[in-house]
Amino acid sequence: MAHRLEMRNMTKRYGEFTANDNICISLDQGEVLAIVGENGAGKTTLMRMLYGLEQPSSGEIILNGKKVSFSGPQEAISRGIGMVHQHFMLFYDFTVAENIVIGHEPKKYGFFRRKAADEAVQKLAEQFKIGVNTAKKAGDCSIGEQQRIEILKVLYQGADIIILDEPTAVLTPFEVDGLLKTIRFLADQGKSIILITHKLREVMKVADRVTVLRNGKVTGSVHTSETNADKLAQLMVGRQLQKLNERDSISGDILLEAKGITIGQKGEKPELDRVSLTVRHGEILGVAGVSGNGQSQLIQAITGLRAVQEGSVRLKGQDLTEENVLARRKAGISHIPEDRYLWGAAKDATVEETALMGSQRNPKYSEKSFIRKASFRTRVKDWISRFEIKTSSLQEKAGNLSGGNLQKLIVARELDFHAPLLIAAEPTRGVDIGAMEYIHEALLEKRNSGDGILLISSELSEILALSDKIAVMYEGRIAGILDRSEATEETLSVLMAGGKQHDATAKTS
Amino acid sequence: MELFDYSLFVSAIRMVSPILLAALGGALCARVGIFNVGLEGLILAGAFSAIVGNHFTENIFLALLTAVAVSVLVSLLFGYATIHLKSNPIVAGIAINFLMLGLTTFALRAIFDVKGAYYNKDMSGLPKVDIPFVEDIPVVGQLISGHSPLVYTAFLAAILLYVFFYRTVTGFRVLAVGKNEAAARSLGLKVTTIQYGAIIMSGVLCGLAGAQLSLGQVTMFTEGMTAGRGFIALVAMMLGQSHPIGIAGSSLLFGLMDALSIRLQGFSMPTQFTAMLPYVITIIAMFFLKDRGSDSLAGQHTSR
Amino acid sequence: MMLPQRLHKLFTPLIQPLLAVLIGLLAGAIAISFVGEPVFETYKAMWEGAFGNFYFLTSTLARATPILLVGLGVALAFRAGVFNLGSEGQMVLGAVSAALAALCIPGPPVVKLLAAIVAGMLAGGLWALLAGWMESRFKVQLLISTLLLNYVAVLFASYLVAGPFQDKTGSAALAQTPMIDQGAWLPKLFPGMSVHMGFVIAIVCAVVLIVILKYTAPGYEVKMLGLNPFFAQYGGVNKVKLLLLSMFFSGALAGLAGSVEVLGSQYRYVDGALTAPGFAWTGMMAALLANSNPLGTVVTAILLAALETGAMGMERNTEVPLEVASVIQAVLILFISAKLTLKLVKFRRKEREVHGTV
Repeated sequence: MAHRLEMRNMTKRYGEFTANDNICISLDQGEVLAIVGENGAGKTTLMRMLYGLEQPSSGEIILNGKKVSFSGPQEAISRGIGMVHQHFMLFYDFTVAENIVIGHEPKKYGFFRRKAADEAVQKLAEQFKIGVNTAKKAGDCSIGEQQRIEILKVLYQGADIIILDEPTAVLTPFEVDGLLKTIRFLADQGKSIILITHKLREVMKVADRVTVLRNGKVTGSVHTSETNADKLAQLMVGRQLQKLNERDSISGDILLEAKGITIGQKGEKPELDRVSLTVRHGEILGVAGVSGNGQSQLIQAITGLRAVQEGSVRLKGQDLTEENVLARRKAGISHIPEDRYLWGAAKDATVEETALMGSQRNPKYSEKSFIRKASFRTRVKDWISRFEIKTSSLQEKAGNLSGGNLQKLIVARELDFHAPLLIAAEPTRGVDIGAMEYIHEALLEKRNSGDGILLISSELSEILALSDKIAVMYEGRIAGILDRSEATEETLSVLMAGGKQHDATAKTS
Repeated sequence: MELFDYSLFVSAIRMVSPILLAALGGALCARVGIFNVGLEGLILAGAFSAIVGNHFTENIFLALLTAVAVSVLVSLLFGYATIHLKSNPIVAGIAINFLMLGLTTFALRAIFDVKGAYYNKDMSGLPKVDIPFVEDIPVVGQLISGHSPLVYTAFLAAILLYVFFYRTVTGFRVLAVGKNEAAARSLGLKVTTIQYGAIIMSGVLCGLAGAQLSLGQVTMFTEGMTAGRGFIALVAMMLGQSHPIGIAGSSLLFGLMDALSIRLQGFSMPTQFTAMLPYVITIIAMFFLKDRGSDSLAGQHTSR
Repeated sequence: MMLPQRLHKLFTPLIQPLLAVLIGLLAGAIAISFVGEPVFETYKAMWEGAFGNFYFLTSTLARATPILLVGLGVALAFRAGVFNLGSEGQMVLGAVSAALAALCIPGPPVVKLLAAIVAGMLAGGLWALLAGWMESRFKVQLLISTLLLNYVAVLFASYLVAGPFQDKTGSAALAQTPMIDQGAWLPKLFPGMSVHMGFVIAIVCAVVLIVILKYTAPGYEVKMLGLNPFFAQYGGVNKVKLLLLSMFFSGALAGLAGSVEVLGSQYRYVDGALTAPGFAWTGMMAALLANSNPLGTVVTAILLAALETGAMGMERNTEVPLEVASVIQAVLILFISAKLTLKLVKFRRKEREVHGTV
């Protein structure tokens, strides 16, 4: 029998760059296919072509034995292909039921039959064992619930092939388990699932087959029963993963001391609940956790972007709690922000202007408020050559730089303050492997020179590779702080899921 | 003459209809994410072309049709600029206001060869509708009966718009487009069509508003005769949170202020403060309603 | 290879404005031929009316003065990332404050003059500051509050000059203040010509603004705040303070516009004399046309003023109504704010491909 879906020799080029090179995949009824690969491997491009958001440069899509082409998502949806985006596409003011039926509303004489919609959704939810409260507003739902709305929406639209794009990135481990069960159940009901991810343990748990992408090419296509996570990782990265190296502890005096930091509205659950941590000279303190557990608030509290309700922030003994961002930067905090487009740059500013931020009032580069552009330019040119930042000129708009190059520019800028404390939040999110290694090396170099780094990352591998100590955040609190020697992916996972430190260490020992 | 009497409320109800009609048009645009500052220009276009239509066809119905058609044309220009050319809607709206102020004054001279105002005693305005039985009820009859058909149209439009938004599928989708355009697009909703639809409807409503101005009370056109009513309508829309019933309420309030200002002139009292009231009330209301409607405003920063 | 590229870089940003001007003139031409007048002659009469001789030129510059000052204020606010729609109110309050200060403050004429200017700037600045404060403290949308505050200001000024400060000396009770002492007038630049010292003040303001925005740290911070407020805050910029400062100076410039118009050409505050010619909205258009570039605003302000004075000249000499100017202006604005991005992006991508293969 023919496959339910086949994508043959799919190629997508953007000018010189080939995002997808001759990729072939196939998918049968009731099958879960995982497509894995690192950031930039071409997973998203492939799925955008399948969903009609991009047109392939060459190649063909065969659906139920017939060749098809989609000029937009609407056509893909009508042919039974649904996609759950990584960033949810929800109307937060609408109810769950409204969000699910939109586009295919039950109606009579043009009037919207909300009751019928509610009933249809409830029936659907029962059929696929997906729990939702149909009358609730989508905005009041947890992230896990919102994802369930998205899945139900796709089912309601009649999808037989469901694409899930990095569905577990935002979920707690507990919610991940629930999702994996749902995926399995959907497959058992005859749906075909494509799971885009780079988390290999989940792949091993739920998928029937795996296709691995690297640099836009397929590097392997295997049944999960015939492989293991290590082998997949090798296919993904293309080389043996480096093991954690032993290294000397060189940590010295206390550099940053945060005590009992609390942020939150009165009468509500605090976003940040009595968080205390210290970073010493020559130490990288990693902060692990599923994103959205208070990491952003922690960064904002330490850098002064947000006022704290309780607690104190001290740097080298100096109390900074009441100081603003500028004063804290002057006192010795530099900061690689978690979202480079939101915090780290202005898309329409030039490369030079992006680089200048934080130095505009530095006496070295300004005189009586007048900026000395000439002397600053030499400095930026130096970064560009040292970090191999690809830009057409200093006047190029920051938004035109690739993600990796912009990130390198930001890293270069923040490192060059030579501040004793660097806050590095998701320093390698969405950059290619080359840039990632470069940034990691730069961070280690800074640590070895005796400065302190607070590393916040949702990538456990990054945390484990770089940190001397690891704090885990869960629901606005520090769930536990581990030494490099006692931390493993397992122990951290338990803490990230809300377990106690005692359980974490007990389980693995 | 007393300060408050029936006739004050009667004239208030009359004043309401252009504001209400235009504000509903503005609300439709706001609900699809377009802040329509060009209401003033659209009304002016309607007012002028109603007179032109009346002059050439001598038929009140055709005059209304002309007003609506011309306003729709102008609103299409606004739509083309904001949707297709991706102009800032505020800038485009201001330009539309200027354009219509210039064009109507210009055309007034080109067509009628007069400056300032055009009046022709042979032209008949909108008829008065006396509602049978109701007109005989004391007080209520005076208030409700005997207005131009457009006054009733305005209130009917508010009710219809309410039903449209909250009871029909198309209305639901219109709201969806305004709430989250990206999500609506990903669902395959025809966002552009919906936006154009809203803009065209706002043209229809503003055309009627203009016709009420030039044919409702007195049958004449004067340069810039909207006198800021488009902006008052915009303010009524904000105060009413783009909700049809809320807008009806705020428009009534503003109509009353309008009528009161005129009444105060008769008492030779400073009218500036009553004229100021709609704006002051709205500013105060903004303190309480600050979060709402913000997503309909252009020029806001997005994170990505 | 280098020269064409550079020329290309220089002229690409000019294509759209030129196209918009062309469409504007075309719209004007259609209107002109609609009344049956020869297009070319009419435009010629317009040009004569704006720049035809020294007197007309100075009239154009006089008219450009308040437009330019308002435009600079709007441009500054724009740079800081906020849409100040309140120039009209700020200008009117500035004008009435300047007039009242010049009338009421005792002392030698020079003191009166300076006090009037300071009062005008303060009034405009504080009025704008109110909107800024409501935005930063209570999250009241500045775009809307400035628009609303316009009406409050204009009506309040109208009350002042129709009531307590009305000029009772004249035979007819017009809504205006008494005439200011001649000593406190801004001097004319040339005897018998309408352009006055205010124009020089406006040019000085433009130059100062250019220098601040382009070469100084606060200017850089304003620009970054406008481009991405989160980025600015992250880099240590005090967002609230800078926003309030920008709004204050934006309003102060509008207030100054009103002041110099009163002190340099009308010599009293007349109700409606500043709102009827639409100085504030034209100023806003000038800033928009110039994409908030102060130097560009100087050019566009003079251009828009020339359109208006030219149209007056045209009306004197032809049968074409002067409103043709507003038609041209409006069409100009409509098309200049359009983002003809699609074409440009495609063009750029092609260019990149070409360079890539070389």
